[in-house]
Amino acid sequence: MTDTVAESIRQDLDQGQVLRTAAGARRRRYALVVLGWLVFIGLWWLLALWVGSEARLPSPGRVFQEVLAILQEDFWAQFWASIVRVVAGFFAAVLIGTPVGLLMGRSKYWSNFLQSPVVVAGSIPGLTYAVMAFVVFGISFWGPVLAVGLIAMPYVAINVAEGMRGVDRRLVDMSTAYGRNERQVFRHVVIPSVLPFVFAGVRLSFSLAWKVGTLTEVFGSSKGIGFQIRRNYQLFNMPGVIAWVLLFVLFMLLIERFILVRLERRLFRWRQWEREA
Amino acid sequence: MAQVVIKRLTKTFPPPTKGGDPVVAIGDISLEVEGNVFASIVGPSGCGKSTLLNILSGVETPTSGTVSVTESGRPAHLGYVFQDARLLPWRTVMDNMLYVRDDGEAGETRATRYLDMVGLSHTHDMFPGQLSGGMQQRVGIARAFSVEPDLLLMDEPFSHLDAITARSLRDHLQELWSATRKTVLFVTHDVVEAVQLSDRIIVLAPGGRIFDDITIDLPHPRRATDPKVATLQAEILGRFEEMHPAPAPA
Ligand SMILES: Nc1ncnc2c1ncn2[C@@H]1O[C@H](COP(=O)(O)OP(=O)(O)OP(=O)(O)O)[C@@H](O)[C@H]1O
Ligand SMILES: [Mg+2]
Repeated sequence: MTDTVAESIRQDLDQGQVLRTAAGARRRRYALVVLGWLVFIGLWWLLALWVGSEARLPSPGRVFQEVLAILQEDFWAQFWASIVRVVAGFFAAVLIGTPVGLLMGRSKYWSNFLQSPVVVAGSIPGLTYAVMAFVVFGISFWGPVLAVGLIAMPYVAINVAEGMRGVDRRLVDMSTAYGRNERQVFRHVVIPSVLPFVFAGVRLSFSLAWKVGTLTEVFGSSKGIGFQIRRNYQLFNMPGVIAWVLLFVLFMLLIERFILVRLERRLFRWRQWEREA
Repeated sequence: MAQVVIKRLTKTFPPPTKGGDPVVAIGDISLEVEGNVFASIVGPSGCGKSTLLNILSGVETPTSGTVSVTESGRPAHLGYVFQDARLLPWRTVMDNMLYVRDDGEAGETRATRYLDMVGLSHTHDMFPGQLSGGMQQRVGIARAFSVEPDLLLMDEPFSHLDAITARSLRDHLQELWSATRKTVLFVTHDVVEAVQLSDRIIVLAPGGRIFDDITIDLPHPRRATDPKVATLQAEILGRFEEMHPAPAPA
């Protein structure tokens, strides 16, 4: 969600500044981002002053010290533990969601059969999955993996089904006319048309999956960012809780911006030239 | 040089609305086309021209009747140029050429040759989205020639283009055809275009029946500006006038 808002603001900015230089537009964009952060930190600082208790709402400075401490301590180990689970869960989601989506997109019969369970699965709150995963696996590596897989799978399936429906009939006919067999059509027409949809599904559910993964770690893990948040909470270390949350958000954004978006741009290089036919 | 034999072919589509009548796209066509002939199929919109080509290429199946497309006894290789370019947007121009017939180095050599012939040698590594509509259509034409088909099917390949581009591509096509002399079935509703390009014009009437079969006896390549072509165009257009008389001048 935050991402789409940011995207639309960026587009508005871009459109308003067609006549100015691209470099100027970029500078202004960054300036706004920095300004946003400053305002946020300023408000937080005022709020902390008003609360007047570092134990209940620590000031930005105090939390910043904590962040530095965590970074020097074991942040990377914890971060790595979390990310491995999220990625493993995602992998499972794509592995199961893709064939389900392919079936749904392929025939009315399967679509009717699978549509409601998938939609229901997609609208169950993440907390439910976190609890379920804990009940099934107890404190384990697999709990968060299961929760992430369950939350992300419907998104992948629905997007793949959507992508299947969008496969261009005319390109399939062209392939038939030139004697391409079903395997070739699947590989060279169906997969490339569906792939952007798979990716959109992954991006959409990524932040959700992260949140659920972390939530599951809160009670079903002995490692990872979620577990660290709980540990600091039990020690009544509010600066620690907030520092971990901040680091969590920051790295989620960084991964999204610098890995997912870049990967998408690179994979779908051809899309930048696509026009309406 | 392929041999196309169509016997008592019909094609009916299910009714577009519930309880409506089925759509007769082709109502009983028998036709033979053979040898290095450029044959055009002309007729008003909806008379089943595209459907006919789709049946010949195996994209659609006949409701009744038979078609056979052979080359000295074996099934013929086909090339197909569509109304729209139908390139895979995620593949470069060269990869699009290789998609339809990939036989390694030979395929690449042929692809290069035909891209050169349509004036697109600089586009090998570009994506379709980077080309203009006319350039994409030229890739579609080069692709059809590059499979070295026994039979070339073309479905109104120039109708989406502006008049100037279309005219230059027609001249291109005349050059290409004169050099290769494939069997061609060329669908159009432009009589003037048909006369410039074809040795034979098969006229379809609404309801998918053959209305007329005209032979054009002029040497190739023919240019649009050739006065002999212009004279024949006027004469044949006149025949169509008789079929659909123009309103008398007031
Ligand atoms: N896949 C289809 N399903 C249902 N009806 C179809 C289908 N394809 C064609 N038709 C119908 O068959 C008839 C002939 O269509 P076709 O596309 O062959 O006409 P055409 O001669 O190529 O027309 P145009 O010059 O406009 O391209 C039309 O009435 C059309 O609505
Ligand atoms: Mg048509």
